[in-house]
Amino acid sequence: MRKLFQSEFLKLRKSAIWLLIFVSPILSLLLGLGAGTMTDLGEQQWIETLGMMTISHAILFLPLLTGVFSSFICRYEHVGGGWKQLLTMPVSRKNVYIVKVLIVSFLIGLTQLLFVSGLFLIGWLKGFSTDLPWEVIATSVLGGWIACLPLIALQMFVSIAWSSFAAPLAVNVIFTIPNMLIVNSEKFGPYYPWAQPFLLMMPSTGESFGALNVSATTLIIVVFGSLILFLGSGLGYFIRKEI
Amino acid sequence: MSAFIIETKHLTKKFGSKRVVNHIDLQVKKGEIYGFLGPNGAGKTTTIRMLLGLARPTKGSIHIFGKDIKKEKLSILKKVGSLVEYPSYYGHLTAYENLEAVRILLDAPKSRIDEVLSIVRLTKDAKRPVKGFSLGMKQRLGIATALLGNPELLILDEPTNGLDPSGIIEMRELIKSMPKEHGITIVISSHLLSEIDQMATQVGIISKGQMIFQDSISKLRERSTSKIKLTVNHAEAAWKTLLSHGYTTQRMQNNIFVENSSNEKIAEIVKALVQHDYSIYRVEEEKKSLEDIFLELTGQEGGL
Repeated sequence: MRKLFQSEFLKLRKSAIWLLIFVSPILSLLLGLGAGTMTDLGEQQWIETLGMMTISHAILFLPLLTGVFSSFICRYEHVGGGWKQLLTMPVSRKNVYIVKVLIVSFLIGLTQLLFVSGLFLIGWLKGFSTDLPWEVIATSVLGGWIACLPLIALQMFVSIAWSSFAAPLAVNVIFTIPNMLIVNSEKFGPYYPWAQPFLLMMPSTGESFGALNVSATTLIIVVFGSLILFLGSGLGYFIRKEI
Repeated sequence: MSAFIIETKHLTKKFGSKRVVNHIDLQVKKGEIYGFLGPNGAGKTTTIRMLLGLARPTKGSIHIFGKDIKKEKLSILKKVGSLVEYPSYYGHLTAYENLEAVRILLDAPKSRIDEVLSIVRLTKDAKRPVKGFSLGMKQRLGIATALLGNPELLILDEPTNGLDPSGIIEMRELIKSMPKEHGITIVISSHLLSEIDQMATQVGIISKGQMIFQDSISKLRERSTSKIKLTVNHAEAAWKTLLSHGYTTQRMQNNIFVENSSNEKIAEIVKALVQHDYSIYRVEEEKKSLEDIFLELTGQEGGL
């Protein structure tokens, strides 16, 4: 397992993929900076800014990035016949799959960390006077990351099954676009994998959790349920796949 | 523990209802260079993919180093180096980094990378990204990768594909030297008999998914029985004369063919012809080439 990580990082290190983790946090940073000029932030200045930043980041970029990273981490195996070589090494297919999923999760995690650093930077630049709402921020960032896990598992499945780089991405885009509408739907939102990063990331002020007043327990159950489903089927597929 | 490094029993692979590999009993002994021969599409690569655990047999068993591949795949693969069809590589990495990515997985010492690079003579190009390599260089990198883990068994699928003549000779010398120097057993597949002929000690010939010949290369050569060809002025009359003397021969145009005969018998035939005043232009030996035998066995006339 450790060896697989080392080998995988070596393959990643020389690629441009690292740059992508900066895109969304920088964009969100700019949006967050603009937030205060439009409305008065008041007491909830941290949370208002975070909410502002979350919209584009969680509705659009997080779901897209899970697809881009997954596609990318499979691409160099598809292109040069890497699967063949990798799977004739003394490594189990299960570990190969899990390591790939974990690396994408790690990249998404880094994106989240950069995102939250952006928030701190804004607060510092603007001189926010209120205390940092640690709990809300941590729940939001961590929740967003957890909600990405089923998406990563799903995208990894698709990326491994299709040797094309663009096809899995296209599918991902097609499912991400309606996000804008679906997050507002009380009926479908909680069950739509692409909507979950937003629902779990959007900070709340009251009793309810998420933008749609869906309870956190429901969301967590849906997220973990789909994670197990997607991870299980992807893993099952990969173990049986003939190279 | 059996005496064979590779032993398959009734190995079968179906794609749909088509049996691409049909009841193959492969037997490879230690230290051999096993030539796995067959026309394109005969099932060579499919068999090799099953040997490496990349594809699952529909039926039959595979034992490598006496271990069942179903149960001990990882411990088998640790001691097997392979190159399947075209070489695998990561284009954005240099040759050295490509080998490093594999070395980590194999737990081989770092110094081994320089060793295999010098074996395939890529030391000079080690720091260049592989996407700029020629096919021959990628092929050599593939061999280097296969050798990286000091394997006991090397499985090479069409390793001379895309190499230029000097590359082919180099590859051949390299492959021939390995069993002697390192005690490695090699399975090498090809659709070119001449290639196998120059390297292999054992041959398996596969056609339409079935093993039609498996023995040492010398056994295969024994099949290349020779004929004596006599060119005479009046072939038909000469043939009748010989028949009346009790020699059965075949006649084709101006030639008379005598099969499988001792020196004495040939001498007698020639003597008889001379005594009957026939002019003998030529007495030649015609050997059936391995190529002919191969075509005969695979039943493909000029199909290569």
